[in-house]
Parts: sequence; C-alpha cells; structure tokens
Amino acid sequence: MKPTSIPRRHFLQSTVTGSLLFPGLVQQLLADSADPLAPKAPHFTVKAKHVIFLFMTGGVSHVDTFDPKPELGKGHGKEIKADHPEIKGRPGYERIYLKRPQWEFAKHGQCGTEVSGLFPHIATCVDDIAFVRSMHTSHSNHYNATLGMHTGSFAQSRPSIGSWMTYGLGTLNRNLPGFVVIAPKQTYAGTQVFASDFLPGAHQGTLVVPGAEPVANVAPRVPTARQQLELAALRQMNEEHLATREADPLLAARLRTFETAFGMQMAVPDAFELKQESDATLASYGLQRGQTTGFGWQCLAARRLIERGVRFVELIDTGSSGNWDAHGDMMSHVPLAKNVDQPIAALLRDLKQRGLLEDTLVVWTTEFGRTPFNNTADAKGREHHPWAFSSWLAGGGVKPGIVHGATDDIGLRAVEKPVHAHDFHATILHLMGLEHEKLTYRHAGLDFRLTGVEGANVVKEVLA
Amino acid sequence: MLGLGLACFPSWVAANSGTDFFESKIRPLLVEHCYECHSGEKTKGGLSLDTRAGWQKGGHSGAVIVPGKPEESLLIKAVRYQDKELAMPPQKHGGKLSDPKITVLTEWVMQGAPDPRETLAKVGGMKAEEAKNWWAFRALPSPEAKPTSARIDAFLHQQLAAKPVKPAAAADPRTLIRRATYDLTGLPPTPEEVEAFVADRSPEAFAKVVERLLASPQYGVQWGRHWLDVVRYADTAGENTDRPLMHAWRYRNWVFDAFNRDLPYDDFVRWQIAGDIVNAEKADSERSAGIVATGYLAIARRFGHDIDKDMHLTFEDVIDNVGKNFLGLTTGCARCHDHKYDPITAQDYYALYGIFESTRFAFPGCEPKGQPRDMVPLIPTAQAEAMLKPWRERNAKAEAEQKRRAEIASAAQKTLGDAAGKRTRRLAGAQVGEGQSVAFATVAGAALKKITVRKGEILQLTVLPNANHGADSTLVEWNIRETGGAGRVWSVADLVQGLTQQNPHPGRDGAEWCFIEITPKGPVFLTEKGDSINGNSALKKWSLGDTPSVFVNSANQQVMVWTTLEAESFFVHPGPNRPVAVAWVSPLDGEVEIAGRVADVHPAKLDGVAFELHHIAAPDYGAALVSAGRSLRDKAAEIEPAPVIPVAYAVVESKVKNARFQLRGDPEKPGDEVPRRWLSILGGEVVPAEAGSGRRELGNWIAKSPIAARAMVNRIWQWHFGVGLVPSPNDLGARGEKPTHPELLDWLTSQFVASGYSVKAMHRLIMSSAAYQRASATPHTADPDNHLLAHFTRRRLTAEEMRDSLLTVSRQLDPTSAEAHPFPAEASWKFTQHNPFNAFYDTTKRSAYLMVQRQRRHPFLALFDGADPNASTAIRQTTTVPTQALYFINDPFFHAQAGAFAASLMKLPAEDARVVQAYRLLFQRTPTAAERERCQTFLATYPASPPEKWAAYARALLASNEFLHLD
Repeated sequence: MKPTSIPRRHFLQSTVTGSLLFPGLVQQLLADSADPLAPKAPHFTVKAKHVIFLFMTGGVSHVDTFDPKPELGKGHGKEIKADHPEIKGRPGYERIYLKRPQWEFAKHGQCGTEVSGLFPHIATCVDDIAFVRSMHTSHSNHYNATLGMHTGSFAQSRPSIGSWMTYGLGTLNRNLPGFVVIAPKQTYAGTQVFASDFLPGAHQGTLVVPGAEPVANVAPRVPTARQQLELAALRQMNEEHLATREADPLLAARLRTFETAFGMQMAVPDAFELKQESDATLASYGLQRGQTTGFGWQCLAARRLIERGVRFVELIDTGSSGNWDAHGDMMSHVPLAKNVDQPIAALLRDLKQRGLLEDTLVVWTTEFGRTPFNNTADAKGREHHPWAFSSWLAGGGVKPGIVHGATDDIGLRAVEKPVHAHDFHATILHLMGLEHEKLTYRHAGLDFRLTGVEGANVVKEVLA
Repeated sequence: MLGLGLACFPSWVAANSGTDFFESKIRPLLVEHCYECHSGEKTKGGLSLDTRAGWQKGGHSGAVIVPGKPEESLLIKAVRYQDKELAMPPQKHGGKLSDPKITVLTEWVMQGAPDPRETLAKVGGMKAEEAKNWWAFRALPSPEAKPTSARIDAFLHQQLAAKPVKPAAAADPRTLIRRATYDLTGLPPTPEEVEAFVADRSPEAFAKVVERLLASPQYGVQWGRHWLDVVRYADTAGENTDRPLMHAWRYRNWVFDAFNRDLPYDDFVRWQIAGDIVNAEKADSERSAGIVATGYLAIARRFGHDIDKDMHLTFEDVIDNVGKNFLGLTTGCARCHDHKYDPITAQDYYALYGIFESTRFAFPGCEPKGQPRDMVPLIPTAQAEAMLKPWRERNAKAEAEQKRRAEIASAAQKTLGDAAGKRTRRLAGAQVGEGQSVAFATVAGAALKKITVRKGEILQLTVLPNANHGADSTLVEWNIRETGGAGRVWSVADLVQGLTQQNPHPGRDGAEWCFIEITPKGPVFLTEKGDSINGNSALKKWSLGDTPSVFVNSANQQVMVWTTLEAESFFVHPGPNRPVAVAWVSPLDGEVEIAGRVADVHPAKLDGVAFELHHIAAPDYGAALVSAGRSLRDKAAEIEPAPVIPVAYAVVESKVKNARFQLRGDPEKPGDEVPRRWLSILGGEVVPAEAGSGRRELGNWIAKSPIAARAMVNRIWQWHFGVGLVPSPNDLGARGEKPTHPELLDWLTSQFVASGYSVKAMHRLIMSSAAYQRASATPHTADPDNHLLAHFTRRRLTAEEMRDSLLTVSRQLDPTSAEAHPFPAEASWKFTQHNPFNAFYDTTKRSAYLMVQRQRRHPFLALFDGADPNASTAIRQTTTVPTQALYFINDPFFHAQAGAFAASLMKLPAEDARVVQAYRLLFQRTPTAAERERCQTFLATYPASPPEKWAAYARALLASNEFLHLD
C-alpha cells in the first residue's frame, strides 16, 4: 500500500463535484480492493445489476389480488377441513367455511394474465411481469415470516438479502450506500430485516425515512465553506499521523471516508431531490410537486437511486400496524392497494422508458397470503396463510408476461411447481448472477448462505 | 453410544501388553505418518490403516500385513523403501521413516500385529483418537511456582527468531500509558497520570500504573463489557414484541463487579450456571449475588409470539452460548445431528438440554401470555414475609371496611330496586343466538325512536345469560341521541378509553354511567377494577371477583384472548344467574332515541344471550343510584400497593426431568429419553440421581475442564492484543483455527489455574511482557496478521470507548454506575407484534450502560461495530464506512461534545495554552511548533466567532485518527 496522499486536487474536485455520479475520487476507491463495497464480478454474466425489492407488510391476500379462484367463489360458504396453523386449537375456529374473493378478476395485456380490480394500474403492466402464484413459506406469524422473507431465517437473526447482495457484488457509487431501505415505518422484526448481522457492517442496509433528513447526519450543520476548512485541518492531522505509521491501510481508509462523506452530503439529498423531475413524471407517480412522502415518492426515489448506482433498494410500504393484515375486513386492502398500485406501475413504465428495466430486477412480495376460508361464511376478513401466496418479478433477466406455478382450486395450497421463500431467494440471486450455494460466509466455523441448509432451487421457468 | 467405546478403551490397555505396545508405539506412528492418506474417507491405494479391519482387508496391491511375518508384509517392504513403486511414506509426505521407527513396526508385525482397533470410533464429527488427543482437551502442563513475563517473551521469541521480522522497540511511555489505560478502563489517561508516569523512572513504574488501573472501578466496566459481548447481553427479550427486561441490569452490574473484585474465574463460571445453588447457604449478599449471576442463563434470547412454544430455540441459544462462551465449542451445531466436525453428538446436546429443561427461567412476558413472572426474589422468604405481613394486615382492615360498606350500599340498592320496579318500563328485548348479532332497531323500531326522559331518570341495558352458565362475551354498541335541542350523543364507545377511572363513570354533559349486576336483592355495583386481563393491559375490566363483568379492548387493534375482541370495543359478560347492566343517568329533560346492537362474540356451542332495554322513569332514582355507587369508593378503604421485593431476572431449579431426543431438532418428533450428563468427550459424567437439574454439576464440569481455562486465557490475551493465541476464540474445535503459540497458551493457562483463576493475575503477567509494551507498527509482509507479535497491533477505539472518550474530554461523563433503565411501568405495557417495544434512552453514564435492544439496534453502537445483542460476539469487527465519517461531520451529539470541550479550553486565557491542553488531554503529548502554528492559522482564517472557531477546531481534533486509535 502506498502512502495515502490523495492529491489535494482530488479532494477539491470531490468537494466541488460531490453531486456527480462518478467523481475521480470514487473511481480511485473503486479500484481499491480493500474496500468491502468495491464492485465485484458476479459468478456468471447476467443482465440485472440492481434490485428494487417491494415489500408489502402484513400479508396480502393472494385470492383477492393476483391468484384468480373462480371455484372459491362458487364454493362460498362451503365447510372445509384443514390442519391449518392459524386455527389449530383456536376457540371459535372449530369449523371453517370458504370465503369468496371480494374483487373481480379480468384478463389484461397481450399475455392475458388475470389481475383483480384491486390493482388496475399494475394490471396494465402484466406483459412485463412474471407472476409466481405458487409461493409458500415456513411460518404463519408476521414476525417470523417477515424475517424469513428478508433473511431466509424464520427465527434467528441472519444477514438480509440486500446485505448478501452488496457482499456478493459490491456497489457502483461510493457516494451513496450500496443497500438502501426506504420505509416510512418499521416493519415486523424491526431493523433485523435489513441488518448485515454477521456479514461485515459495511453491508448493513441504510434506512431512509421519507421526510426532511432521509439519511442520518447527511444535513450539514455548518456552512460548506467552513466545513471544508475543518475537513482540510482534519485531513492535515490525519496525513501527518499516517506519515509516521507506515501508511497503515486502515488509517488511510478512514481518512478517505471523510472525502466520501463530504460528497454524500450532496449526493444523498440530490438523489432524493425530485425537483428536476418533470411534471409528467411526478404526475405518473401520483405525486404533487414538493411532496416528500408517500409510496410514489419512495418509488421515484428508488429509480433515482438505482440510476446512481445503488445496488439494492428495498421499499417497505407501511409499518407493523395498520397494514395488509386484514383479519377484520378485507376492505382494508383497498386503501393499501391504492397507495402502491399507481406508483408501482409508474415505476415499471419509467424504468422501461429510460432503458433501466433491462438491468434492474423488480421484486414484489409480502410475507404470506391470507386464508381462503374463515370461521363463518360471512366473516369479513381473512387470517394468516403461509401455505400459498403470490409474488412477482419483472425486469432484468426475467421472462415477461408469464405465470409460474399454481395453487389448488380454492387457493389453499401451492400445488403446481411450489416456490418456497428460499427458492425465491435463490432465483433473485441467480438473476443477479450469483449462485446461492456459492455465495457463502464463514461464521462460527460454518459456511452460511441466504438460502439455508435445507436446499433451494432456482425457478428456471421465470428466467428469460 | 460412541462415548462408550472411548470409555472402554483404558481397560483394553490394562488387559493386554500387546495392546499396550500398540498404543504406546504403533498408534502414534501410524497417526503421524500414515493417516494423512490412509484413514477415514481417505483410502489411497484402497488401503485403510485406521482400523484392524482396514489392514486385514488389504489394499489394491493385496494383503498388507501378514501377522508374524514381516518379510512377507507389504507394509514393511514399503517402509523399508525396498520397492520403488511401493516406497512409503512417499517423499512429498515426509519421506522414509527413521530406522528406529522401521524397527518398531517390524517388531509389531513379528508379534502378530496386535491391534485393538475394532472399529473406526468416531465421536460426533471427529475420529475418537483424534478427539482424545485434540489440543484443546489435553491436560495442562505443570505450572511454575514463580512465573515471570520473560517466559511469555521467550515463547514468542522461538517463532519470531525464525522469521525475517524484527521485533519493534519498546513503546514510548506516553503511548504505553494511553494503551494500558484504554485497555484496562476504556478511558483516556488524564494529563496528570501521563506526566507522573513519564517522570517515574523506577523499574516498577509501569507495574504501578497497572495496579492503579486494576483498582479502578472503571476496570470492571471495560472488562465486564467484553464479557457481555460474548454472552450476547441485551435489555430486551427478543421475542416478537421485544419486551424490556426490567431486571437484567442486575446481571450486567454483577459482571462488572465480578471483574472488579477479581472473582476467581472458576467461580465466575459456577455462579453464572448455578449461583442460586452454590451460594444458597452463604451470607445474604453472596446468596443474592449468586442468584443475580444466573441472569446469564435467563437473558437467553426468546423467540416467536408465544415464547413457550419456541423454548427449544431458547435452549438451543443457551447450549450454543454455553458451548462457545465457556468452552470454545460450537455445541449448538449438534441440535439436529451429530456435530459435523467436532466430537459432540446430538446425544450430548440433549443431555445438556435436559439440564436446562429442569430449570425454571424467568419469564419476560409475551403477547399471548401477558406480563413477566417468575422473577427470583433476592431476599430470603422470611425477610420478604416480614415486609409483606404489615401490608397484608393493613389490607385486611381495608378489605373488611370495603365489605361493610358494600353491604350498606347493597341494602340501599335493594330499596332502590323495589322502588324502581314499580316505575320501570320495558322498551325492548330479544334473544341473541349463538354467535349472532341483534340490532335494537330490528326488534323495537318505533319504541326506541322517541323516549321522553327527565333529568335523573335512567335508561338501562341489561344483558342476561340464557339457560346455560351464561358466560358469554357480549359486544355492546349503544348510542343515546338527543332528538331535539343540541342533538347531543352519549355512547358506550366513549367509555372504551378510561373505563376503569371510576364507577359511576361521569359521561358527557353531566350524564353518569353505572356498571352493575342485577341480583334478586337489587342492583350491585361492580367495585373491583382491573387494568389488565390475562396480562393484556389493553383490556380493562370491572368485576365482582375474577371474571370480568364489564370490559373493553382499548387497543386500536383486535386482541385474541379466549375469543377475538375487536379493536376499541365495549363488552359485557353476564355471569351465571347474574345479568349485567349498564345504566345511563339522564342529564336532560327531553327526548332521546336509542340505537345499537348486542352481539355474542364468543360462540362456544352454547345458547347465546338475551338483552332487555328499560326506562326507569323515576327522577330521584338516578341520583340515589349514583350516590350509592360513590359511597363504595372511599379512600379509607383503598387497598395500598404491595411493598417492592427486590427481584432478579434469573433462574431457579424446576421439576427434574431428562429431555427426549428430538429427531432432526424437531420438538414434535421426540425420540428416546437422554440422561442428563456432561459432554462425552470431556468425561460424560452423569448427573447423580439425588442431584437437582444438574446445573451445579455442569458448572463444576465446565470450571474444571482445561478447555474452559484455555478458552478464557485466550480471550484475555485477545482483549489485550486484539487477536487471540487462537484467532477463533469461540471455536477451539476442528473448524476453528489452531493456536499460533500452543506452548505459550498452555503455559499461561496452567499459570491461570495455579493463580486460583485470577484474571487480574493474568493482566499483570501479560502486561509486564515486552511483547505488550512494544511500539505499534504496520504488519510486515512476512507476517501480515502480526501473529508473531513483533509489534503491538494498532486498533480503533470501540464504539463504547469512542463515546466515553468524547464524554470524558467534554467533561460530561458521569463515571458512576447505573442501575435500571427508565422503562415504562409494567402495568402500562401494551406491546404487541404490531406495536413492539421501541425506545432509546440517552445517558451521560458510561456507554456500557446504554439500553440495548434485540430487535432494534442502537444506532450509534450499530454504526461503530458494537456487539451483536442476538449472538455471541467474540471479536469486534472494525468496519470503515462513510456513514461513520458523517457522524463526525454532522451528528448533534458529536457537535455538542466538541462544543463543550471547546468551552472548557476557552477557560484558559492564552490561546497557546488551550492548544497545549487539548493535545495533552486528547493525545497525551504536547503539540509541535508546526501544529501550534497551524492551529493559529486555522483560528485566524475560520470565519466565525471565537467559540465557534474553537468548536470547529475541537471537531477536527476529536475526529482525528490520533484521538480515535490506539498505538
């Protein structure tokens, strides 16, 4: 390692051009293999370079959204038997009856995929989407299923899928974090869903809460000119310190982080500053000019982040209460669907128009589905349902306009080509050029991976 | 089963001299020279040499040994290098054996090749003989009577001398005292301490510093925090609502105290596993400390919604941590199957499991099971009883008074009831079938549209049980609307929040609500209020006795108890032959209309309920009812809260039982019972029949095992030097790394044991070595990880050290110890998985006292690589990311400390003195002339007021590598 000195010219350049996507200094960092976030080659060549992971909190009903079940409608009120985890030993649930879907389904696009009336905008994008109607998972609690959908682990804390992604691939813009989570509220299992856990801390997801200061400590507390004087003084101290310490790479690395941090003060707000967007773009996402909250804002910010080289962006629609958990009344799905439907469709179209959809994988999922039955025929809500639900993929490397797998006639069980959360993860990694069995990390004497020890399969049918 | 094979082994040795010869001469030779290619799964040339059957079968070249006939044995030919093709061991694997070894082998074959190795014995994932000889399990060498640190340096020198790496010179005194002070206390030295040390030329100068630091109470905080890393200490339970652990702090403080008092490490182990048992007969303070110490077990992570259903995961967490933490063994890996690499079987796992299953862990509460319980009292029963007795007596009086008043009130109510009976008008009524809902409008439309009431008259809704036992939860929605005038509305929905404030309950505009039971003797007020039901504090009730008669779900979400209770709803629950009524006392003269419904919300295959709506048209009745109700509420008769008995989040003995084996770790697939015992590889002793859970025995087994002592000595070394002699401190097994200096580790460990397991004795020994006192440097390419310890390894301060240093120089640090966190009172908890506990508590105490949550990481500790509160952290990572730099640029806490530091500097009149003071405080040195000059230039050019200039300068100093790293 050569002694430190990034020429002063570079420092000035980065301070001045902090908002540029690839200032010279960042290039220099990219070349530094000691940087845990330096870009790494995938295991094999693929189209996708970025992921936008859309997570719907609370358990979206599959039979009311993306999994049409006419037989369920016909069988409404019919008593069935099921050894279901949510009703076992629960008083009042000794008998269960089928409950009809509450929304009509219709065919859309050239592919003719059926989508319910809850998602009129997403319905217009079906030709770009591969639906997986045979999802299933390992737990019927929100906490465990949410943790599982993010980390592959249904009890213990493990690294999040976004952390695995930057661990495997690094990131492309060091003025921005590699793994960003935009969430107005915390979902189940708290910060564990975006934690790096035993992976190096650099792979921790950075939480962005829509609002005035989206990333902690990004807003300068003193004017830029003064800040530059302080950082120059600091730099001088650090360089002198380093000069007598054989250019210790850790000290040098820390010195450099101040350059990047300085740039982040501009790059981060710039990424989240929607001023430059046209009225038409804002309108397509359902945004008012000046608005800094809402799922439309989250979606547009996600596009701007991946445009700037961020590897993995997760958008969480809402928190651990007031979400899709419709025990009481399925009608509570209406405002939640309305909140995300138009923005998601706008995001897909916007990415496509800009040619970004080719190298961006868009994932839409929830933690589990909802029961096609309840304990009275006219119950208004549905219960947690880990046996079957729907998710979808679009963009980089995904076969568009298809439906993969199926549930039985009433949406109770994923029967045709079932896809477990682990299989889903293996597929996402594959689409990003990573083999899930190779992407491992040695911790406590064992090689851990996102997809756990039971084995997982890449869903080949959804690959383009 | 595999352990048995091992246990039998010594008897063969004793029984057979041929075996003796094999064991002493042949086995070691085969292990050393042949096993690499001819054992286990490796069978080069088709030959196995690790069992008798292996050589009897022979290899691809045919029979290998002809017993009694060395000349005909291929093995002998091979080792003699008689045949080029067959020469063994081959050159690349060590080449030809020495002549004495060839002679020994020949002699063995001559004797008939006696070989006791019936089968290839494996224990877990390791071959039995490898396991038996595994370095970490071996007996320790004899200690020296007067150990000196020179021996440490001698051990290190053996390897250092063989490499082209020159040891660094001794660190200068300023560097050394900074290093030692942070190392032992986590805080910077004061300028006075530095100058005193620099001035002290005596040979004992450094030893005196070490003694001073070891005597500081801050020592226990720093070294105790290391221990808390390993035991994954947290202040919340980690289950789905992440409930606060109100009393876990006592364990945290006990750890700090144990280091400060230098509690012998073997006792430190015993107390954490079984302090409640081993200290049971000791004096009060030791007895309670023993209980608190078992908080180690209690703080195990809890899982899921109903934590009792996932206790197998909590036991896994315990077994995993006991293994890694005390033994450096990954015992948790043996839950579903035998360990894949180490000599630990799944049977071992369930043998330990039974010990913990026979232990009662304090219960932190969880959403479906309510509030915490099973805390362990820290004072003897007699003492607790002495505190409770006067309280009970006072209470008994209050209870008697309450009863007396109730009787009076009840008599008055009977009179009222009789009077009311004559003037009561039935408005409506209906049966409500099983699980059905009946709206008032559907049974009495017109009658409820227009009711003329006078002030003081009553409208009363009574819910009656049907023929069955009556206990049905009944949802009530009831609105009373003024049809003329202001159109005011009174509703039971108004009662959902604050139900238990009082009964009678004041309503809007002077109305009163009364919650009563209707008895043959007349109305009886519900006088017992409850601020939780089944431990759920969203549910509030009025009752007479345990069963709620009137209750609400005050949460903004449904609650599942015996049935599903919708959010923000009002319920009544009639008892057998005890209808429950809600009476509304009119504040107006006018006309009202009534709307609402009654629904049976607990369909339990019974027969539903019925309801009646009445109008009691007697204006004096309302006032009389209200005053009768009020007479029951009297301060003099109030029951005072129970005295607080100090408790710990700890464990006690429970019903003793062996665990059942769980097939593939699945508790729903139980196998045979596994006796409670110690790990087979470490002896396999069984818990005696008359013993309790076996924790006492387990504590002893761990404390006395050489691997446990090695594990701790290795940690002490690591916490001094940054890297352990075994670089994988939580794994001394096959997948861990081998010791870099095995003899040194063994020597140190034997001294540790001989010192009476004194951790402080280890500090003295290690810190007085030349290796500890060397200058730091960047590693030589021949030794990139500095395993040779040619120099000290530079390190960044830990998260806690950083924050404590900032607070120290800003003079904000409160160095005293902390106790409980300011958690919300238990009675107020409404945590659910939808609304889990979530808080940050700021403090100017040391960072080791910050409240650490399992589900949500503390932002500062997470940013600077703090310990993982969910899993044992053996080594702190050091990540270097720009978000850390952002902290030093913009964080409000950082700016505040820099501001305070600058303000304290400004108390010195001369600018130059300020700079000198800053450098002495932060860097333990004086600034150079160039540094002073640059400071002047900075201050001259920085365009702001003097306090702002100095604050800016302070920020640069406090963000510097020199301040935040240790040489």
